[in-house]
Amino acid sequence: MASIDIAHVQKSYGIHPVLHGVDLEIKDGEFVVLVGPSGCGKSTLLRMIAGLEAVTEGEIRIAGKRVNDLAPKDRDIAMVFQSYALYPHMSVEKNMSYSLRLRKTAKDKIASVVAGAASKLGLDPLMERRPKALSGGQRQRVAMGRAIVRQPKAFLFDEPLSNLDARLREQMRAEIKKLHQDLGATSIYVTHDQIEAMTLADRIVAMHGGIIQQVGSPLELYDNPANLFVAGFIGSPGMNFFDGRYMVSGENGNFVLTGGVVLPLGSNANLADGSRATLGIRPEHVVLGAEGPNALKATVDLVEPTGFGIIVHLKLGPVAFKAFTLDRRFLGMHGDVAVRLPVPNLHFFNEEGRKV
Amino acid sequence: MDSLAARSRGSRRDQRPLRQRLADASAPYLYSAPALILIVTVMLVPLVLGISYAFRDIQLLNPFSGGFIGLDHFKALSQDENFYRALRNTLWWTGWSVLLQFVFGLILALLLDKPFHGRAIVQALVFLPWAVPSFLAGLNWSWLFNPVVGPLPHWFFALGLMSEPANILSDPQLSMWGPIIANVWWGIPFFAITLLAALQAIPRDLYEAASIDGAGPVQRFISITLPFLAPTIAITVLLRTVWISNFADLIIVMTNGGPADRSQIVASYIFTQAFRRLDFGYASAIALVLLVLLITYSMLIVVLRQWLVSKD
Repeated sequence: MASIDIAHVQKSYGIHPVLHGVDLEIKDGEFVVLVGPSGCGKSTLLRMIAGLEAVTEGEIRIAGKRVNDLAPKDRDIAMVFQSYALYPHMSVEKNMSYSLRLRKTAKDKIASVVAGAASKLGLDPLMERRPKALSGGQRQRVAMGRAIVRQPKAFLFDEPLSNLDARLREQMRAEIKKLHQDLGATSIYVTHDQIEAMTLADRIVAMHGGIIQQVGSPLELYDNPANLFVAGFIGSPGMNFFDGRYMVSGENGNFVLTGGVVLPLGSNANLADGSRATLGIRPEHVVLGAEGPNALKATVDLVEPTGFGIIVHLKLGPVAFKAFTLDRRFLGMHGDVAVRLPVPNLHFFNEEGRKV
Repeated sequence: MDSLAARSRGSRRDQRPLRQRLADASAPYLYSAPALILIVTVMLVPLVLGISYAFRDIQLLNPFSGGFIGLDHFKALSQDENFYRALRNTLWWTGWSVLLQFVFGLILALLLDKPFHGRAIVQALVFLPWAVPSFLAGLNWSWLFNPVVGPLPHWFFALGLMSEPANILSDPQLSMWGPIIANVWWGIPFFAITLLAALQAIPRDLYEAASIDGAGPVQRFISITLPFLAPTIAITVLLRTVWISNFADLIIVMTNGGPADRSQIVASYIFTQAFRRLDFGYASAIALVLLVLLITYSMLIVVLRQWLVSKD
């Protein structure tokens, strides 16, 4: 177990920069999830920590020790790959014990450690099988078993669940979380799935275009996104955005949507009078069927029942947005509907896309 | 009861008209006939004819030959010192050629598997010898070994490997090595191509997983590269062994089996018997022995493979 410090780390392939100065401190025992769309540099960062990619600039320290120039095998970390990367010609038992055998660990020690990991992961009846005789979920477990037998300083996960079907993914997600609670090992987990990020992480690192956008607890990112990217990326269905202009009239601020609809805010936002801004609101915060002085008139476009709730696609003038409700009354809804966007749930982003 | 049922079934079939029944019964044979006839004429007829020569006295220059002589050729063969030497030479020739081709081919494939600048051109160049006709390769190398026109003897002399710049092809002790070297040069690309293809099919993340697990380059080679290459190695070595032991071109062109039959292998001995001494019967008998030996070898490999697979 160890802390991992990433200081001003940059990566470029030739002249193409991939990571533009990443700073991140990961505490001992913490579960950190790197999340972002594909190509955002999250896997590259993970592979640099593992030692599979060279660091162009900056420093990576594991337990306070600079590892930039150490080979992967000397960094004492374990990694679970998206493809699992199990050795196809070795049995499950051989796969799991490979790293220990390379380190010339005593035979009885290997046997006991491997047996312990196997029983923890429910692999006991499969020990003699080859990877090709295993299901996806079982392979995933073997890959994790291979990582935990060594008791490394840190676990790195590179989108480990993306090859599984939805049901199995849910199950393995819970198992990974439980395993982390058991072992308390420092873990870095890369995913593009924001549900995985939300459910697993102690802290989420949202990345985009090779830059860290926000670091924080899952709910922090959900409730208080630092910018438009994080606001749009975290949450499903995603946050609604309305472009417009912030206007001050007397004591009160108003938000004038691009279509001309005026939204009285009742208080002042931290924006200059007349500046362009973006208003964001999560679909579950949109109140449907709320008559009143501040109600807006929207048109129902489409109703999507998800079973758990209902996603209503609405149009406010030319602007499309979504509402999420648990109230089944809205299933058969069509035509016009009154909606309210409660002021406490609104997020404002300035012209640069930063939250204000 | 059973026989009664069978008879009633039979009688029901009998109710179809005779022509219909004939057509139904012969349909599968008619469908497969074109392929079968082709296979029999193209493969079996020459094989049987060739084998039959081994038991007949066929000499092109003797108009009275052609009679059946039973096992006479084989009796003569069992006392033919040249044949035994050719057999030993075949082992020597095949063993060294395959081993060296394989080792150099593997090294080349491993080098070409690493990305470097201009790899595509180097790959194309490396595979060039394979495209050279074997007779041309043989002529080329026999000139290289010839001290009058070739540089190699002078280089060997300068390096102190030879006491004088002589032609190793005319040295009874060394003549076998001339064709072996030419064969190695000519056959390396085959191993390099097939092994490179197998190497490139190995998932890269296995190497990454192994390096994180703590494996160095040598351990990665032993525990990942070799197991992945094993099936390809087995099949290419088997193929090349059969191929090379039958491959007389280079020897015929470079030494013609000489000096004094010292570089004769079974395949070139067959060629010599058939086309120089024009004794087709005797040549066929030798060929038959070679065929039996190679079939035995192949069966042995197949059995070994089965055993290895079942052991897993």
